[in-house]
Amino acid sequence: MPKYELILLKNMMQPGYTGSLQEYERAGGYQALRKVVGKVPPTEVTMAVMKSGLRGRGGAGFPTGVKWGFLPKDYQGPRYLCCNADESEPGTFKDRQLMERDPHQLLEGIVLACYAIGAESAYIYIRGELVLAAKILEQAIAEAQAAGYIGANILGTGITANVWVHRGAGAYICGEETALLESLEGKRGLPRFKPPFPATNGLYNKPTVVNNVETLANLPHIIGRGPEWFASIGSPPKSTGTRVFCVSGHVKRPGNYEVPMGVTFRELIYEHAGGMRSDKPLKAFIPGGASAPFLTSDHLDVKLDFESVAAAGSMLGSGGVTVMEEGTPMVWAALRLMEFFYHESCGKCSPCREGSSWLVQTMRRIVAKRGQMEDLETLVDLCKNIEGRTVCAFGEAEVAPIMSTLKYWRSEYVTLIQEAEAANLIRLEPTVARH
Amino acid sequence: MANQTTETVRLMIDGISISVPKGTLVIEAARQAGVMIPHFCYHPKLKPDANCRMCLVEIERVRKLQTSCSTVATEGMAVRTATTVVNDAHKSVLEFILANHPLDCPVCDQGGRCDLQDFSHQYTATSRFAETKRIFQKEYFSPLIETQMNRCVQCLRCVRYCDEVMDVKALAPIGRGTMTEIKSFGNHPLDCEFCGGCVQICPVGAITSRLSMYEYRPWMLKRADTICTFCGDGCQITVQTKDQELIEVNSAHSGGRNNGDLCARGYFGFHAASHPDRVTHPLIRRNGTLVEATWEEALLFVAEQTNRIKQAHGPQAFGGLISGRCTNEELYLFQKFMRLTIGTNNLDSSARYGHVNGVQAMRRVQGTHRWTVTFEDIVQADVLLLVGTNITEANPITGLKVKEAVKKQEATLLTIEALQPAVGTISNITNLSKQHLCVAPSQFGAAVLGLLKAVIEGDHVDPGIRQRASDYVSALSHAVRQIAWEDLAVSTGISSDSFAQMAASVVRGRRVVVLAGQILLRSQGGYGMCLNLLDLLLLSGKLTSPGCGFAPLAEENNDQGAVEMGAVAELLPGALDLTDQDSRDRMARAWKEELPLVPGGTLIEMVDRASAGIIKSLFVVGENPVGSLPSQIRAKEALSKLDLLVCQELFLTETAALAHVVLPAASAMEKAGTFTNTEGHAQAVRPAIDPVGDSRPDWEILSAFSVFLGAPLEYGEAKEILKEIRSVIPGYGSLGPSPIAPTADPSAIDRYVTEGYRHDVAIRYTLPPRAVRQEGTVQLGLVQSLFHSGKFSTHSKGLLQIEPSAFLQMNPVDAARFALGSGDRVRLSNNRGQFITTVKVLERVPEGLAWLPDHFAQEALRLFDCVIDPDTKVPSFRTATVSVLKAT
Ligand SMILES: Cc1cc2nc3c(=O)[nH]c(=O)nc-3n(C[C@H](O)[C@H](O)[C@H](O)COP(=O)(O)O)c2cc1C
Ligand code: SF4
Ligand code: SF4
Ligand code: SF4
Ligand code: SF4
Ligand code: FES
Repeated sequence: MPKYELILLKNMMQPGYTGSLQEYERAGGYQALRKVVGKVPPTEVTMAVMKSGLRGRGGAGFPTGVKWGFLPKDYQGPRYLCCNADESEPGTFKDRQLMERDPHQLLEGIVLACYAIGAESAYIYIRGELVLAAKILEQAIAEAQAAGYIGANILGTGITANVWVHRGAGAYICGEETALLESLEGKRGLPRFKPPFPATNGLYNKPTVVNNVETLANLPHIIGRGPEWFASIGSPPKSTGTRVFCVSGHVKRPGNYEVPMGVTFRELIYEHAGGMRSDKPLKAFIPGGASAPFLTSDHLDVKLDFESVAAAGSMLGSGGVTVMEEGTPMVWAALRLMEFFYHESCGKCSPCREGSSWLVQTMRRIVAKRGQMEDLETLVDLCKNIEGRTVCAFGEAEVAPIMSTLKYWRSEYVTLIQEAEAANLIRLEPTVARH
Repeated sequence: MANQTTETVRLMIDGISISVPKGTLVIEAARQAGVMIPHFCYHPKLKPDANCRMCLVEIERVRKLQTSCSTVATEGMAVRTATTVVNDAHKSVLEFILANHPLDCPVCDQGGRCDLQDFSHQYTATSRFAETKRIFQKEYFSPLIETQMNRCVQCLRCVRYCDEVMDVKALAPIGRGTMTEIKSFGNHPLDCEFCGGCVQICPVGAITSRLSMYEYRPWMLKRADTICTFCGDGCQITVQTKDQELIEVNSAHSGGRNNGDLCARGYFGFHAASHPDRVTHPLIRRNGTLVEATWEEALLFVAEQTNRIKQAHGPQAFGGLISGRCTNEELYLFQKFMRLTIGTNNLDSSARYGHVNGVQAMRRVQGTHRWTVTFEDIVQADVLLLVGTNITEANPITGLKVKEAVKKQEATLLTIEALQPAVGTISNITNLSKQHLCVAPSQFGAAVLGLLKAVIEGDHVDPGIRQRASDYVSALSHAVRQIAWEDLAVSTGISSDSFAQMAASVVRGRRVVVLAGQILLRSQGGYGMCLNLLDLLLLSGKLTSPGCGFAPLAEENNDQGAVEMGAVAELLPGALDLTDQDSRDRMARAWKEELPLVPGGTLIEMVDRASAGIIKSLFVVGENPVGSLPSQIRAKEALSKLDLLVCQELFLTETAALAHVVLPAASAMEKAGTFTNTEGHAQAVRPAIDPVGDSRPDWEILSAFSVFLGAPLEYGEAKEILKEIRSVIPGYGSLGPSPIAPTADPSAIDRYVTEGYRHDVAIRYTLPPRAVRQEGTVQLGLVQSLFHSGKFSTHSKGLLQIEPSAFLQMNPVDAARFALGSGDRVRLSNNRGQFITTVKVLERVPEGLAWLPDHFAQEALRLFDCVIDPDTKVPSFRTATVSVLKAT
């Protein structure tokens, strides 16, 4: 029996729940939609979301209602909602489950958001590899359309909200909201510089809201049970509600766990995820997806909410918690992530494009025991030269593993380099002369 | 519409206070304050992309450094571009950009004019990068453009230019991260408009021209700013030479009416002048063959023969033809030579092929011989109507102005073209149309009438004109009523609703520019269509409104100059009527000599008179009637009868081959003077190299003739002729950066609406005959190709690599009908003859039509019928009905 009341995972945890429209309705689904569409003014829906304190579950944690409020009030012409289902952050796998197991919960959230912001079209931009989820969503959309929850005349109110599924083609960067929009427009998925923000110049240059799957899936509950109820969960006022944490790595029971925000990492890892795999002590963990800086065993009592994790020097990010036990080589772990970022840098901006290739090559050398002491200084320098100077937040993300491992486990780097020096290898002159 | 805001904001840049228009980017504001912020991806022609991160600056009260190329200046902003933090950021970005750079500057054509080199020098950039560099394998890119992707800084300027400015979209970044490389869009060598824009806009040496690869270091080159000779747009080009050799052409100063943009002809066509087949010595026919002679011999020969013929037959036995590619000075001197030295008005220029139609229509309706609008008005128009322009291929830079108006300023584009919207390797203006009427060239006239009918019957006639000229309005109303919508629909395939919709768009416009192109101007009834388009503007009340006007597009670079210099039979310098006594007197005073009274013969009339033995001698300057006129005119036979045919030529053309004397003329690369572009803007032509061989500028040759004939028209240099031009023709005073367009003359309009419109209304307002197209035939049309300009460009090795030979463009449906595919040989025939060529299947060609590029069409000319316009004497031979058969 779960320790906390489940919200997002509640239905799917019922034995035999298939996620069909019928079952979703039986579990109280689409009541929130019925309650507000055509009855409550859209601005009040937005107000309710603001009051609930809901913050984005995609990574940045931006207050959802506030984001909606940025849409120009007097704009005539189409607005769009995009549901970010590109979930590609290493160690993150919650959106997939939310879509596969309870698609109507998401769809209801999408239609509610459409109603609130006045969008007649919503696109679910889904990671290409999530073939099953895409199929399930397509099917669910068809069901919801037939039942009048989606389409030209929702529940006979004359209000339109169409939903389309658009499959990505396998680039991590397309999860970045503006790259997502470009990709959706049929262009190369490269981030746009901001400002302007999607709220004013989004899809096809029209006002647009981009929200994560989990963010949107919360809406039926907030509307159904009221913002005050939602705001009382978690650690109010700044981190309300629950989050589905994806626990992976050296734990006994990896998986998705929905807990109220504010529980500690210790509780999440040792109670919910069953503790360490081989009962070795915990050495390190990533608290919020590959883009979040590493934390150490000293941080186990940090609370899982936006502020506490930020205060500890990392971020709650996408909710992907990757756990590493004692004995994990941290330089290697950082390299592993760096390889990912190198592979996924879109190449639009110079610091990230060139920096990622430089960083990864330096890291490879160090791990292969061909490093030099001055490499450490170069690494830090490069990271600083990337951070804050890129088009998108990928720049901050890619330096996180190296910066944080250098902070907590510098000695491991030094050891590798000392071993390299001790091996007394004849130093090969660099392949390209310095100048 | 351009939102020309006069609102300004004041900001500080490195302590300098500056006020700029609202919306200005920080990088531009800095430039205005004299502060150069380093940048790669920013270019004023392109939308900001902020990808290189080179232009980072500090902005007070903003946490992170900001890219100045994407940040709009706001009131009170304080920007710092030279603090330690900013400097370090610039250095670090440069270090990143250099990380994977091959540092092969010694063999890079950009070396010495490369932004990366310059910024590296400025920041004394060093690199700690000691890892392995990314290397791209060299791949074949295209015949004229070369890429060296290891040098690429991924700024995407080339890709953005090709899309945003050209609307071609031929380039794309392929791959991700450091492996991003710029390739042609699609798995094939680059196939595009070859405008050279990507080469010009690349800040480094990653995209270069193959025509000049490894041939120079930039500082070895001598530069001459001059004007392109390949079309009436009149682009400014910078010709770069090394030891009298043409190395490269660009428009790097971004100056000129083209604002730095060029088309393939301008960018890659320059080698035509240095072709080995150039005539380099005077030639005299002896015993039936042309043999080399000295200048003295040749001039003496011409003088003796001229005197002999003049004594025997008088001045009317002479005629003269000059090319609209010559300078104003030459055109002016030519007509003066014909009129004074010889004593005849028998003279004409290539403006007769179509341009005269547009000019005469403007003169008749609005009393100007120039446009009342400029390129700027095209860019700022809110409604643009294009009729028969084929603009991308015929007047590419005017086409860019139209694209800019539509893409950047959101103008409404209306098109009546023999084109179908389609994705292709070259841009298609109808893809940008708000409303497009796809009409065969033979029915453009019908479409224009449809539009007029819709304006009149849709009650869109301007109340002002209705009041001022009720007779005119009712005459036209009456005329359009005679035309039934059903007949219009049969002729054009367009419904009355469509016409009504387009008419409404025209009438709604505040700044309406109507562009008429060569296809219209050279068609049968071209003059009438121009008049009718002017009627359209008059009726809708636009003709005299600011920013509105009618713009017939000139084909040759100086067709407009030819008319203004009086190098046509019926007009004196200043485009004054020869028959007008005041004008004659004025010229006689200026020249201190009486003008010949007998009206002159025009192009076809002269050919006919030669054929009839009335004209015994022709002076031909750069024109090639034998090669350009359809065989029906029998120009070859006519010219063979002449006692004296003198040709001033670059090449031994079909006409020159018949000549008694051929004189080597200098090309535009080798002489000074002025050209007047399609807008009526006179621009300076400057020599880039010395005359090839013994060739001389045409004006010098004409001047020498006059001396040998004992009636000297002597000038020491071209400038002296310009001085004389200035004294007799208004509008040649200063060669400023942009034209000042004349305004329509109200008294001329009054004359037109009271009386002038009358005599041909019935004819102009009649539907053109409908061609009944038989099974197995298509309507063949001659069109301008983007990659050539007359026969001249077929001497350009660069352009020949893109388009080496003739081909027939046809629609996939027709191709299927005739079981033809791209590359198949096809026989075109009608009762006049036949012609065999190769097929290219293109979706942009409308069904039932087929196009042949006119510069290779010589042999096909025999298929065409020639109709002479009764008013303007313009010969029209642009369409023919032909049977199509696959040739084996
Ligand atoms: C490199 C990068 C990748 C991202 N990938 C995702 C993703 O896969 N899914 C997601 O929801 N948000 C992703 N984001 C965050 C989005 O840009 C955006 O902030 C989010 O979709 C907004 O939704 P929310 O406010 O509901 O969180 C990514 C951001 C960056 C910089
Ligand atoms: S930071 Fe990286 S991922 Fe983001 S735009 Fe720049 S190159 Fe692309
Ligand atoms: S030459 Fe012109 S059309 Fe061709 S790729 Fe370059 S920019 Fe595009
Ligand atoms: S080829 Fe030149 S213009 Fe194009 S992206 Fe590379 S550096 Fe920029
Ligand atoms: S041919 Fe015309 S458009 Fe092309 S460069 Fe020359 S003048 Fe410009
Ligand atoms: S010039 Fe501003 S980012 Fe490239």
